[in-house]
Amino acid sequence: MSENKELANTRYALLEALRSEDQTWNTLAPRYGVTNPNPPWKTSLIATCECLAVSGALPVLERRAAEDELAESAYADVPEPERQLLALAHTMLSRGLISESDLSARMRAIRSRLEAV
Amino acid sequence: MRESESRGTPPAAAGKARFKVGDRVRVKDLPNLFYSRTQMYVRGAVGTIAACTYQDLIPEDEAFNRDGRIEQYYIVRFRQKDLWPGYPFDNDTLQTESPERWLEPADD
Amino acid sequence: MSHAHTPGNGGAEHPAAPTVDEITDFEVLEIAVRELAIEHGLFTAEDHRRFTEWAESIGPAAGSRLVAKAWVDPAFKERVLKDAVKACKEIGIDWAEPTGFGTPSDYMNLRVLEDTPTLHHVIVCTLCSCYPRPLLGMSPEWYRTTNYRRRLVRWPRQVLAEFGLVLPPEVEIRVEDSNQKCRFMVLPVRPAGTENWTEEQLAEIVTRDCMIGVALPRPGRTADVHPMHRARRPVGSSRD
Repeated sequence: MSENKELANTRYALLEALRSEDQTWNTLAPRYGVTNPNPPWKTSLIATCECLAVSGALPVLERRAAEDELAESAYADVPEPERQLLALAHTMLSRGLISESDLSARMRAIRSRLEAV
Repeated sequence: MRESESRGTPPAAAGKARFKVGDRVRVKDLPNLFYSRTQMYVRGAVGTIAACTYQDLIPEDEAFNRDGRIEQYYIVRFRQKDLWPGYPFDNDTLQTESPERWLEPADD
Repeated sequence: MSHAHTPGNGGAEHPAAPTVDEITDFEVLEIAVRELAIEHGLFTAEDHRRFTEWAESIGPAAGSRLVAKAWVDPAFKERVLKDAVKACKEIGIDWAEPTGFGTPSDYMNLRVLEDTPTLHHVIVCTLCSCYPRPLLGMSPEWYRTTNYRRRLVRWPRQVLAEFGLVLPPEVEIRVEDSNQKCRFMVLPVRPAGTENWTEEQLAEIVTRDCMIGVALPRPGRTADVHPMHRARRPVGSSRD
């Protein structure tokens, strides 16, 4: 459990910035008149979690324990499924599966890719 | 890949099941060594074997990728009155699963 | 759920809908995490495609079909109660898919719990969110909350009442905590007023909540509606 306490006490600036943004599906969907209860990326997030579990990189029990821990600490004020996404990124950073600098750079690259016309 | 291996075909038999359906058992109150899926709320409680389910790795090993010990699992039925002091409905029950190592015969 | 259930539509609660007209950082984060994981060799893009297809293919419709068939076919019901994983193949659900050795992060043990007029089952996973996904799809949000998980085992009648389900004291409520490797699903009692109904008609009233055990099927009830606003934090939380 001490590993999860440490997990819960850690904060990543990159994820903290996202946490405080008001871009959750709960907020955006009504604004655009969208009735789908889930954002389009949710299925992909689930698939990522399953792939990590099956490959052994992040076993499901450990991921769920970390999600629970973070749901009551770092991301207590974030709704689902954004909270699950933040918890997954947080757990992967904490385990060294990805680095914060890689993640930050990749996010910038992806945004420019998606916004390219 | 260990976790996936534990899922598919059932592992080799762990020997004969110690308990049978209808047996009265008590959930041991063992210390939590690193990891367990045996809930605190059933520790020390007496219930009845409702089903002998399957044989598989015990969670204490599975969670840490150790070479696993295989055990018989059971579904144990408890009266809610026996789990929670003052529970007001006589008929209500709760079932939970447990590997064999957490159970001992109850002679009540 | 006004039309026939088709497997894989995720239930009519998830209609096709347009998306929002902006790219959120969450959308970007999801892609970034996935791409980095693939680049680091944690899994392959092909794995991800396969699991995405699987996740999109599951929903509560399969469970509804299983219950409806069990109601009209007593021999099928016996097979379901004896070996549920095997019986699932008769309705086109293979628990070994898509991995060949079991559904991702689920196990190959399934037990269907048969209700009677004097016995009512309700399922929970007090440890995390274990759920019979090949039959019911992804678990609803409330099923994963600590609020539901902690309180259902302790105060089942109070929690069921919050879902609008009040049962008389003489009915035994049996909470099934799927805390190990078995997955569970409730086979409710076929309600009165459904005599001569077809399997398709019956399946319409077997909603997800009926198979979790927080609702009872009845004619005219074809969707899960939750009138109450659920606490986001468990009772006793000191942070509120």
